[in-house]
Amino acid sequence: MKTIKTKTGIGKWMPRKYDLEKAEGTLQFADDLRFGPELLHAAVVRSSVAHGEILKIDYCEALKMPGVLKVIVGEDFPHHFGLYLKDRTPMAIGRTRYVGEPVALVVAETEEDAKEAVKKVKVTYKELEPVFDPVKAATTNSVLVHPDLHKYEHVDFITPQPNTNIANWFRIRKGDTEAAFKNAAHVFEETITCPQIAHSFIETFCSICKQDPGSGEITIWTSAQSAFTVRDIIAKGINYPLHKIRVIAPPIGGGFGGKAGMTVEALCLAAAMDEDLKGRPVKLFIPREEVLLSSWVRQGFVARIELAVDEDGLMQGIRNTFWFDTGISAEYGANPVRSAGYTSMGAYNIPNVWSDCYAVYTNKPFGGAYRGFGLPELMSALEVVVDIVAHKLKIDPVEFRKKNLLMKGQTTCTGMPMHDHALDKIIDKVAKSIDVLKEEPATRKGWKRGKGIALAIKAPAIPADASSSAIVKLNGDGTVEVLAATMDMGQGTYSAFAQIVSEELGIPYDWIKVYYPDTQSHPYDWQTVASRSCWSMGMAVKRAASELREKLLALFSEYWQTPVETISIEYGVVKCHKLGKSERIDERVQNGFKMPDGILKGGPIIGSGSFTPPDLIYPDPDTGQSPKSVVHFTLGAVGIDMEVDPGTGRIVINKVCAGYDVGKAITPINVKGQIEGGTVQGLSACLMEAMTYDEYGRLLTPDFTDYKIATIKDAPGEIDAFWEETPEEISPYGNRGVGEHSMIAPAPATNNALFRATGMRIHSYPLSRERVYKALKAKEKGETDFWEWPYALDLAYERAKKEW
Amino acid sequence: MKDKYVTLTINGRKTTRVVEDRTTLLTALREYGVTSLKRGCEEGECGACTVIMNGLPQKSCLILAREAEGAEILTVEGLVEKGRLHPIQQAFIDEGAIQCGYCTPGMVMTTYALLSKNPSPEEEEIREALSGNICRCTGYLSIIRAVKKSADILSGKAKGGEACEDY
Repeated sequence: MKTIKTKTGIGKWMPRKYDLEKAEGTLQFADDLRFGPELLHAAVVRSSVAHGEILKIDYCEALKMPGVLKVIVGEDFPHHFGLYLKDRTPMAIGRTRYVGEPVALVVAETEEDAKEAVKKVKVTYKELEPVFDPVKAATTNSVLVHPDLHKYEHVDFITPQPNTNIANWFRIRKGDTEAAFKNAAHVFEETITCPQIAHSFIETFCSICKQDPGSGEITIWTSAQSAFTVRDIIAKGINYPLHKIRVIAPPIGGGFGGKAGMTVEALCLAAAMDEDLKGRPVKLFIPREEVLLSSWVRQGFVARIELAVDEDGLMQGIRNTFWFDTGISAEYGANPVRSAGYTSMGAYNIPNVWSDCYAVYTNKPFGGAYRGFGLPELMSALEVVVDIVAHKLKIDPVEFRKKNLLMKGQTTCTGMPMHDHALDKIIDKVAKSIDVLKEEPATRKGWKRGKGIALAIKAPAIPADASSSAIVKLNGDGTVEVLAATMDMGQGTYSAFAQIVSEELGIPYDWIKVYYPDTQSHPYDWQTVASRSCWSMGMAVKRAASELREKLLALFSEYWQTPVETISIEYGVVKCHKLGKSERIDERVQNGFKMPDGILKGGPIIGSGSFTPPDLIYPDPDTGQSPKSVVHFTLGAVGIDMEVDPGTGRIVINKVCAGYDVGKAITPINVKGQIEGGTVQGLSACLMEAMTYDEYGRLLTPDFTDYKIATIKDAPGEIDAFWEETPEEISPYGNRGVGEHSMIAPAPATNNALFRATGMRIHSYPLSRERVYKALKAKEKGETDFWEWPYALDLAYERAKKEW
Repeated sequence: MKDKYVTLTINGRKTTRVVEDRTTLLTALREYGVTSLKRGCEEGECGACTVIMNGLPQKSCLILAREAEGAEILTVEGLVEKGRLHPIQQAFIDEGAIQCGYCTPGMVMTTYALLSKNPSPEEEEIREALSGNICRCTGYLSIIRAVKKSADILSGKAKGGEACEDY
């Protein structure tokens, strides 16, 4: 029985943890840590060719530069790293695979010295033919990005295809798709493309590594979402014992998946473990241009979707081919492909599903985790296709979605039954909020106005054994310390954990402190990804706090000689109303209680808790079927009211309505923050973002002047954010994740609104001004659909497309 | 490169720093210990290094330290008086206008500059003033609410210090 009282438990609007330090500027991020004059600095020499054999790296002149101690090249640190597939080396070895790939590392006394010396390193290449187009790379295999793919170690739930560019092939084979298409009254086929996009967190990457020369122990301070996964990937990469690697993750300035796994830690470690440098800390700070040039991106995406619909407007079958452009590494990027596959029916009840999802290597920066993990791309395509179908069948887009909705008990494409949710109610609320079916005149002269809706669905695509654990410590004054190795990167998880502890212990929120991750002090957590933390780590924190409560109450029970059930903790004070007792928590929780028999009992009170998803089963590799492939889905809907200026192609968002079924909002301030933030990030991706390359694979958008992201002027006039609470069965308080989901549907909803406004379908994201303008010009010539393939320069593309 | 000296007043404290010709004001201030200023882009695009220099908001990555000779610099650390947050800082907390916190010091300083000049700005004026500060987390609407609330607190129309519930 829970016997607590608190005003600061779950569901309350509380000020967020660490906001005070953030507001006064004192919170120290990795770049703010100080190591004194011992600190060395590394700077990176990067490849200037997209695909080439390295003939020579001449760094004689660099070594003569002031302050330079050493130049390290790929062969000096020849380890392969990777979370799911070990296809990555920190520096190119023998062969460079994209423009910007590290080929050497200069280590010097100051950052300026290192940067100056980088300019003196001369690398000569024999250029090889590159491949940039994922469809061409996957279908022709004329250029192999990783000829050694068959040699790389990988986890058993991904399936690389040796001697091709396919790093992972995930399949869904549910029902009889062939028959469904043969018997369908209507069959539709559409293609949609999304470019690679950049996370654009404001904090770039920064790592500091140090190895103790005697013990060999390694310490890594790094801007990482997942301290333990960094430790795991490093340990497996260099074949080193876990207890000799300590990863300290200071607060990070935004992650969005871009700091989910290992980023630049191994590159920095190549210097810190060098025989000549060992013992001195080495710092590797990656400036903005190099972040855009050389780090994780959201994968490019090409989707072909075929939909079979019967006479009643019910979806009977879907056939999907998804090409994810994963660049030169799929070490993390192999998994968003699986994630999209798991949900390739969207939010709809489709009995027959055939999906082929490919992660395809190309000579571009590597794709990986990005908020939404495959689903923003998938739904940017699928929700537009559904809208096209509704329009062609002359059914209104709200009704068409609602009549095909995947309801409780119906099976997803992996054969798993859907749980209860309130999506139908959410759709109604969204439709009403923006009056989606009502045509209204534009508020700006000469502009056109449109409204659109799109659905969001996503499950955490975590491995079946992704676990969390937490420790809660009670101090001798009643305050509490929580060790939970989730990274609070702005989403506000530490506020959630403090509210959970307050809920379980009856101790005020302000008395609870949650610490940033350090693998030395914290118990294990897999990763801060997948919108899993309030759920998975939330479960561990709840269990730890309730264990602590039980220990504390048991001691008071003996001390007061009264049954446990009669004791409560109210606002931090332990009470027994029956006996009229009321005592503050004091040193006795550290040193023990002197019991009535005169014996001291107790001692420091610690609660611990852990959680592993109890019932996940990996899908069958041939069919993708599993009784429970994912832990749960969060569903939602977004409505957009927008206007477009036909004279310039500019889109302005008047209003957004976004609602999700979060199960239970632990920290409402953060749920609202995640919905607003994800909505604008989704709109930014929709309207302006694309990693753009020239025909040699050189990035044309290496800074925030050319790579545009939403500013305050691009934010919509209004966001009507709301949520429903249909409880989740296996969950601390019924809660489900919402952090990523808010990014999924704004783009397709905007695209659908653009169609209502103009009668034009744009099949390639982003809906940039230039593209919208061109599309509207094409409309004047009678076109109804507009494509701009990202590789228009590649003439082979059109042929490959037809061969699908 | 030859070292030179620059004397400036940082949050009320006068100090002389050793700098090179190429040292930016951002680097000089961070080396002094003012690490609220962030290296977000180092080319004037993100606004995470915004300071008030002689009363005007400036991106410190675009100013050479030696150009700041004799200047009065105010950063977010300098807004805290005797342990009490400035109303702008408090409003940012109350309105959930902070997520990762990396852009926050720059946002707060730009807001400070705006409200010093225009104590009750219209929403369009807020958007114009903050358009050089990028935030990737919040979606900006909470920041707009925080600026409006800051103006209300400063003019005595509102009180700070409570997490805002308007759901």
